[in-house]
Amino acid sequence: MTQIAPSTIDEILSSRRIIITCGTGGVGKTTLSAALAVRAAQSGRKAVVITIDPAKRLATSLGLSTLGDAPTDLTHLLGAVPGTLAAIMPDTRETFETFIRSISPTPTVAERVIKNPIYEIFAKEFSGANEYMALQRLLALDRTGQFDCIILDTPPSRDTLAFLDAPELLSQFFEERFIKWFILPANQVMAVGVRKALGVLENLTGAGFVTHLFDFAQSLFETRLRFAADLKAVTALLESSASSFVLVTGTSPESAREIGDFARSVAEHKFRFDGVIINRTLGLLDAGTPSTPGENAALRLLVALQTREKEAIGILKGALGKAPYFMAPELARDVHSIHDLIQVAQSV
Amino acid sequence: MRDLLKRKLLFVIGKGGTGKTSVSQALALAYSRQRLRTLWVCFEDPTLGPGQLDRISPYLHHLNCEASLAFEEYIGLKIGIAPIARFFLRNPVIRYLSKAAPGLHELVLLGKVWHERLNYDRVVIDMPATGHGVAMLQSTANFARLFKGGPIHRDAEAMLATFQDPAETGCLVVSLPEEMPLRESTELGELLHSMFPACPPAFLLNRRFPQLEAGAIERDPSKWSTPIAQDLVDYARKRSILEEHNLRLWNGIDYSVLPFVTPGSRSEVTDALSHFLAPAIAELDLRG
Repeated sequence: MTQIAPSTIDEILSSRRIIITCGTGGVGKTTLSAALAVRAAQSGRKAVVITIDPAKRLATSLGLSTLGDAPTDLTHLLGAVPGTLAAIMPDTRETFETFIRSISPTPTVAERVIKNPIYEIFAKEFSGANEYMALQRLLALDRTGQFDCIILDTPPSRDTLAFLDAPELLSQFFEERFIKWFILPANQVMAVGVRKALGVLENLTGAGFVTHLFDFAQSLFETRLRFAADLKAVTALLESSASSFVLVTGTSPESAREIGDFARSVAEHKFRFDGVIINRTLGLLDAGTPSTPGENAALRLLVALQTREKEAIGILKGALGKAPYFMAPELARDVHSIHDLIQVAQSV
Repeated sequence: MRDLLKRKLLFVIGKGGTGKTSVSQALALAYSRQRLRTLWVCFEDPTLGPGQLDRISPYLHHLNCEASLAFEEYIGLKIGIAPIARFFLRNPVIRYLSKAAPGLHELVLLGKVWHERLNYDRVVIDMPATGHGVAMLQSTANFARLFKGGPIHRDAEAMLATFQDPAETGCLVVSLPEEMPLRESTELGELLHSMFPACPPAFLLNRRFPQLEAGAIERDPSKWSTPIAQDLVDYARKRSILEEHNLRLWNGIDYSVLPFVTPGSRSEVTDALSHFLAPAIAELDLRG
C-alpha cells in the first residue's frame, strides 16, 4: 500500500469518502454512526449518515420522521459548523422489490419474480438481501456527488461478517451456471442427472414446488445481466481506497475472535479496515465517592467490570494487529437530543 | 416461567447481547443437575466443529447444529435407500439448492432439534438473535404452506404442531433492562404469541443491576443534562434510576428476573445463573 492508513478518528473521517460501520446488535452502532457523522460535519465535511432502524428517540433527536431515500438536512441543529450534516432513514421493507424491478428488463419479468411463491421466502428470509440493499443505496447516494463523507450504519445481523459476504451470497442466485442447469442443461448427461434429482426433489416436496423453482430461476435468468453490472459497481466502490470499514464491538474478551475474523475477511475481500471502536466502556470513568452500603456494593461490581474490561482490551489489542482502536464510553442514558449526540461524538 | 420449565423443547430467544447463550446454558445445566437428560443446542457456532456433539456430563450434551449435515441426515432418513440419497445429495443442482434455497437452511436446523427431542428429556435451544430467530420459526410455517403435500410438507406441519403445543414447547424471551431490548422483546413476544396463539412466551429479565436508594438525582433521565456519567458512583446511581424507568415498558408483563452476576469467565457466570434457576426447576417435580 502506498497510502498510510489513518490512525485517528478524525483522520479516518477526513480521508475516507465512505465509512461502513459493522457490528452485531446491541453494541450501540447506530448511535455511534450518527455521532461520527456529527463529528465529520464539525470538522468541515459534507457528511451524511444512512441509519437503519434507529431507536425512535435517536431518530426524533435528529429530526427524522419519515422513512425514505431522500437525505434530511440537519446542519442547522449543529449551530455554526464548517461542514454539513444530513441523515437518511431508508425504508427497508420496500427496497428488495424496488431492486428486482430495477434489474428486470421488463415489468412483466419483475412481476413474475415477485409473484412467485418462492420469492416471498427469498425476500423475507434470505440473509444478505438487506445488506445488499444497503450497498445499493450507498452506491446511489455516492453517485449524487452531494456528500464527501458517507457513514453507512449496516443492518443488524447475526454476525459481523454477514455484511461483507452479502454480495457473494446474493450473486449465487444469479449465477448463470446454476440457472442454466434448470433452463438449458449444458449437456445430455447432466440433463439426465438433473432431471432425476429433481424427480426425487418433487417426491419430497410435493407437486408445484419444482415448477415454481423453474419459473423463479427462469425469471431471475432474465435479470442476471443487470444484476452483474450492478454487483460490479458495488464491488468497485467497496474496493476503492475511498471506502473503509470500522468495526464496533463490546468490551468482552469474546470480541477478540470477532475482530480477528472481521479483519481477515476484510483483507480477503481486498477492502480496507480502519480500526475498531470499543463501545460502552466503563474504563474512562474514575471511581467517585459512594455514600451508602448499597452504592459501595454497586461500585465494587463496576470496578470488577472495569478490571475485566481492561484484561479484555489487552486480548482485543492482540487481535487487532496494526489497526487502531478507539474507546467510546458507556452512557448513563440514551441519546435524547442532538446536544447529547455532540457530546458522544466528542467522547470517542 | 415456572410453567415453561416443564416443557420438553425450550427456545431461548432475544435481541443480540442479552445473554441468550448464558441463560440457555444455565437452564440446561440446572436441568441436568436434576438428572434430566438434557441437550443444549446452538446453531453453527464457528468456534465449534460442525455438528459437534460434546458430552459435558452424563446428563448434559451440547450440540453445535449445522445445516448441511442436518440436511444430509434428513434426506438420508426420508429417502431411506442410501445409494439414491447419495446420488441425490451429490447432484450439483441439489447441492446448490441445499446451500442457497432461502429458508431451507433454517428449516433443517429446526428439524434436527425437533427430531432430537425424542432422544432427550429436555432440549434447550440457544436461538439466533431476534430477527433471524423469528425467521427460523417462520420458515417452518412458510414451508408448510409452500410445499403442497409430500414428506417435507408433512414434517413442517408436524414441527409446527409441536412448536405451538404448550405441553411440549416453550419460548423464553430474554431481555436486558435497557430501553431498546425491552421494546424489542415486547414486540418479539407479541409476534411469537401471534405465531403460536396457544403457546404464549415467557419473559426473563437478565442482568438486573442492584437497585440503589433514591438520592438527590432527578428521577426522570430525560432531564439529566448529559448522557455522559461523571464517575462510577454517578453511573451506578443513574443506572439504578434508568432501569427502574425503563421497566415501565414491561408494565403488565409477567417476567422473571436474573440478577447482575459478578463478572467472571463464562462458565462462572453460567454456574451462578444456574444455581439461581435451580430452585425453580427443582420445585417442579420434573421427573413425574
